[in-house]
Amino acid sequence: MNVASVSPWQRLWGGYVRWSTRYPALASLVPFVPVVALWAAVAQSGLFPPVFFPGPLVVIEKFGTLMANGILPAYLEDSVVRLAVGTAMGLSIGIPIGLLVGLSDRAHRALWPVLLFFQAIGDIAWLPILLIWFGFGLVTMTFVIVYTVLFPVVLNTVLGVRSVPLELHRAALSLGASKARVMWEVVVPGALPNIMTGLRNGLGFGWRALIAAEIIVGTSGIGFLMFDARRAGSVVEILLGMIVLGVLWYVVDSWVLAPIERATGERWGLVTR
Amino acid sequence: MKSLTIEHLQKTYFDPFAAKQVTAIRDISLTVDAGDFVSVVGPSGCGKTTMLNLIAGFLAPTGGEIRVDGRAVSGPGPDRGVVFQSFALFPWRTVLDNVAFGPKMRGVPKAKRHEIAREYLALAGLAHAAERYPNELSGGMQQRVGVVRALANEPDVLLMDEPFASVDAQTRMTLQEELTRIWAQRRPTVLFITHDVNEAVFLANRVIVLSQGAVLDDISIDLPRPRSWDALIEDARFKALAGRVLQQVRAA
Repeated sequence: MNVASVSPWQRLWGGYVRWSTRYPALASLVPFVPVVALWAAVAQSGLFPPVFFPGPLVVIEKFGTLMANGILPAYLEDSVVRLAVGTAMGLSIGIPIGLLVGLSDRAHRALWPVLLFFQAIGDIAWLPILLIWFGFGLVTMTFVIVYTVLFPVVLNTVLGVRSVPLELHRAALSLGASKARVMWEVVVPGALPNIMTGLRNGLGFGWRALIAAEIIVGTSGIGFLMFDARRAGSVVEILLGMIVLGVLWYVVDSWVLAPIERATGERWGLVTR
Repeated sequence: MKSLTIEHLQKTYFDPFAAKQVTAIRDISLTVDAGDFVSVVGPSGCGKTTMLNLIAGFLAPTGGEIRVDGRAVSGPGPDRGVVFQSFALFPWRTVLDNVAFGPKMRGVPKAKRHEIAREYLALAGLAHAAERYPNELSGGMQQRVGVVRALANEPDVLLMDEPFASVDAQTRMTLQEELTRIWAQRRPTVLFITHDVNEAVFLANRVIVLSQGAVLDDISIDLPRPRSWDALIEDARFKALAGRVLQQVRAA
């Protein structure tokens, strides 16, 4: 039997685990160090012309310029507001439909096949007809986002409602709850972890759909920025747009979605992390 | 005083796959006095859980009548508290808010209903767990919460559906002793469904044996209280009564 000694690698890893626990921002940033390093190395190597494959420094410089002249903040705001409005509308339509279909066998029989049918017609597949109906504008973009957010929310809410044990309904009723109270006290909280999953998926798909809609329809926004840059042949701006997309999703996830999930389903033991 | 009256209760199901009626409850008549503790035992499939679901109002009978304190039962209601085998605590509410749920539905103000809940939690030795969530408690503790949640609503009848069947054997004995203590203090009317003959005899003043949807026997349990397993496990009268009930259940 050998007495285990601590290797330098274990010492390094231990240090990382301790520091990143103390400063969670480190845990978000450090994994990107090798990615950026690889990017910089490939750009430096001269394998590709700098116009096709610019390095990190050029992109950061571009970020500074676009922030300073106000284009990036304005476009970012446009995209985020579109996504937020579309998501809010998708949730306020999707959750009631999900509750209805989840609770009523009749509604389930009548609506489920229709829901599955329309879910299959992807968001982008609606664009041709929407452009004819509503033209190149906000209505078309909002429709696409609402549509994209709606289905994951409805389908997951239905699953959530149906996963609430019958005994919890019965317990609430025999403690004196009316059917309306059971909805609010049992069905909604019981379905909440699934509704969160629906929101997470819906936001993810919605974000992609928004960029696609902005590329085709847009007059502003991150998607428009990237497509406009293609016209000008500016790879730097395209890369910047891609990075902004990734960072924004990370922020939404860790500042909005994850805290809600920690305070609800995970706290209640309904989902395991 | 009669608290619970069941007259010629009958329940048949239509089985769409076999295309025939299935009888769960053939004919049950039964009265339970206010403040009494009655156990119902029988082999699986004898109709005991169906009977409890009918009394609770979760199912509608196909014949006969159930009255609680003189009123006919026509659905679930706070006059009949239910303790479930699966505990059925609300995972999104703290222990305190689970117990305060019934009073909340009655419109009792927050301070008052929390006071009620704390009083009942203390009764079950759970004062320290008030702020925790159900998933942070052991099975035995969860079912203690289930029992006091039903009691805190002060029902006319407490219906218990094999409440201790899913906890370990040692905890079960402790819970049974605690239940007899709480019953002696508060004297709720209890109908306790179980398949465990020893449990039925240990807890009750009366044991009803069900067989194929009808009452096979009605046995009076005149063991002294307070009861404890230490005293009763080798007690000749307890053994004789449990033996008699077991014989009936096995014949059922």
